[in-house]
Formats: sequence, structure tokens, C-alpha cells
Amino acid sequence: MLPNLKVENLSCVRSEKAIFKNLNFEVLPGQNIEIIGSNGSGKTTLLRTLLGLINKEEGIINWLDEDNNFNEYRTFDCFYQGHQMGIKNMLTVFENLKLTHNAKGMNEEDINKCLERVGLYKINEMASDLSVGQKKRISIARWLLKDFKIYFIDEPFSALDDPASDLIKEIINELNHKGSSFVITGHRSSNINATLIEI
Amino acid sequence: MLLQGTDLQILTQPLLRFDMRSSVLDWLGIILKRDLIIAFRRSSTYITPLVFFLIVITFFPLALGPQESLLSSLAPGVIWIAALLASLLAVESIFSEDFRDGSLDDFFVSLEPSFILVFAKVMIHWLITGLPILIASSLAAIILYLPLESFVPMILSLLLGTSFMSLLGALGAALSLGKSAILSAIIVLPFSIPTLLMGTSVVTFSLNNQDYSGFLMMMGAMLAIGIPLLCLLTVEALLLNYD
Repeated sequence: MLPNLKVENLSCVRSEKAIFKNLNFEVLPGQNIEIIGSNGSGKTTLLRTLLGLINKEEGIINWLDEDNNFNEYRTFDCFYQGHQMGIKNMLTVFENLKLTHNAKGMNEEDINKCLERVGLYKINEMASDLSVGQKKRISIARWLLKDFKIYFIDEPFSALDDPASDLIKEIINELNHKGSSFVITGHRSSNINATLIEI
Repeated sequence: MLLQGTDLQILTQPLLRFDMRSSVLDWLGIILKRDLIIAFRRSSTYITPLVFFLIVITFFPLALGPQESLLSSLAPGVIWIAALLASLLAVESIFSEDFRDGSLDDFFVSLEPSFILVFAKVMIHWLITGLPILIASSLAAIILYLPLESFVPMILSLLLGTSFMSLLGALGAALSLGKSAILSAIIVLPFSIPTLLMGTSVVTFSLNNQDYSGFLMMMGAMLAIGIPLLCLLTVEALLLNYD
């Protein structure tokens, strides 16, 4: 089985200080990578470097294409969720899903199913009236809009109660079975089935 | 209720290959719809520039007195300066909210063309600032005793000029993202001088019954070149904020 993403000797230097050095890992379909590190260790920088939002200093980031060749450019859609979840306070719960590019072509019923899956039933409530945890549930519902090959999620378990954490683990597990992989970050292991990388 | 088997399959089935053009238009439509809903729910975004424009215009007759010939001769410059400053009021907000809440990351990670994002943002900025100013300019022209013959040239020049200002504003907003709100206006103002000169010339020439079409053509050419060039520069400026 070929990995969807192959990282070799990846390094990042900021202000002459190495944030991370010589990272090597592969993201295989249905498998997860968990990047563990303290605050400021470069977890977010690593995710952003992988996705091309930040230029890499050294190393190779290779993506598998449709012809099973590895390229430096990505040809498939990935899901990225940073610390900020991209939730618009002036939109309703439903609109926060419907008015995203990942929901293109989806009908109302399918979007409602995504929201119900994460326990959000008041779809016409304004996002500004929701708690941080409930907003996080909207962002989790977005994972279900499309079949992404790799999900890059920055600290998915922060600001969540136990039921919500269990829900995330459940969804990660379901999506793994469908061949999707997760690259997640955190301060400590979240006990999901993942290869741990400490930076 | 947990989704199982086929339900989850429906939700997560891979997108089939789709027509690129319809995809881009769909995306443009989504951004426009989303941002226009937000703008209309937060009415200050389009009311503030409009009110600012009308207040500046009404200050002139109050300060100078109701002398028709004086106000009419000053009208082209006054209307244009007020329009320019009013359109700069909302410049900072073009990308700031998307940058703060992480939506901008989502746009750049998607495989959709970033150019379309910037173009959509420029259109939205024009719709919530340029268009209300354009409509209010007729009232401004009446307040400042601008002759009726100059209405059409004024509106045409403002149509082209405010559109170009939205493009420049997007570049300024991208360069000053996460910094002081006034910085974007300071960046944009020097580059708006040619637009100001040509815009006022159009109205002044029409007041003097001279041919103003050359200025309108130049403004049109600036807009035609500006759309691809400034949108691409804005994409690059936005990406600078990540490094």
C-alpha cells in the first residue's frame, strides 16, 4: 500500500532557531499520525508546512497522485482545521456548513445528517449563541461533508468534554475504516490508534 | 443518533470529476452568498461608509454657504474625495475576519483557485461600499448644485473608480493583515491619486462641456489591467502573512 503523503528530512528554521529537524514519516491510507509537543514546539508550523501554507526550509514533501506517482504538488483535497475553526458568528449552524466550498452540490438533507451526527439539532441557531464546544462540533461536522484522503487537525481534543472527545475518536475511527488518514497535533497522546511523533 | 453504513457512505462519497468552470462559478457563488449574508446581518458594514460619504458632502454647503457657483465648481473634487475616503473605511475588513477565524487557511488549503477568492472579496467590498456611494452620489450632486448634464459622467467615473479602489483596497488589506486598521488606508491612498485625478477630470470636463471620454477610457483600461494584476498580487500578499 502506497502512502498518500511521504515526508523526508523535513526541517524548519525560524530566526536562526530550528523549530523541527529531519522529520521523516509517511501517511498511509486509513492510518493516523499524532504529533506531540509542548507549546511553541512547531506543531502548527509543521501542519502548515505540509499543506504549503509555509515554505519549507529543507526536506521533501511528496504527495501521491492518481497515477501512483509522487509529486511535490498535491492533486487531492485535504481537510485542514487550525486553532481557529473558521466558524462565522453571523451565520446559523446550518449556514456554517452549507456556505463552505466542501458542501458544494450537497443538499439540505445531507448537511442536516452531518450536523445530527455530531449532536447539533438546532440548525437555525446563530453560531454567536453557541459555546466553544458547540462551535467545535460544527467544525467536526465539516469533516463529514466530503471524503478527504487526509485530515490535518490542530489540537482537536482541546476545549472538549469527554462525550465530545469520544465522538471525535468514534468519527476518526469510522473515517479510518473508509481509508481516510488523520494527522493531528496535541500536547499529549489522545489514545487514538496513531503513530506518535514527538517534536 | 449515529450514522451507519450507507448513510455515512452517501455523506462521504468522493466527488466525481466535475466541470472546472461550473466548479469555479459555484465557489464564487458560495463566497458571495456567505459574505453578503454576513454583511447584511451586520448593517454597519454598508451603512458606515454611506453615512460618512453623505456627512462629508453636507459639511461643504454648511461651511462655505449656499453659493451655487462655488459649490458647483467644487463638486467634482468634493464628491470624489468623499467617495475615495468612504470606500477606504471598510478596506481593513476585506480579509481580516477570515484571517482571524481561520477561514482563509481553509481557502488556501483547498484546491480552488485563490484568485477567485480575492475577486469575490473585491466584488463584495464594492457591493457594500462602492454601490451605496454610487447611489448616494446623485443626492450629493443635488446638494452641491452639480448640473444635471454632469450626472452621467459622474456616475460612470465613480463606477469605474470605486471598482478600482476596491481592487487597490484588497491589496492594501492583504499587506496590512493583522496590523493596524489605518495602515491599509495609508498604503492605498498614494496609489489612488491617478484615479482621483482622472475621476475629478471627467466631472470637471463635463461641467465645461469638454470631451471627457479619454479619461473614462483610461479608467476602464486601469480597471481591466487591475483585475488580473491586482488580484494576483493580493494572493501573493496574503500568502506573505503565513511565512
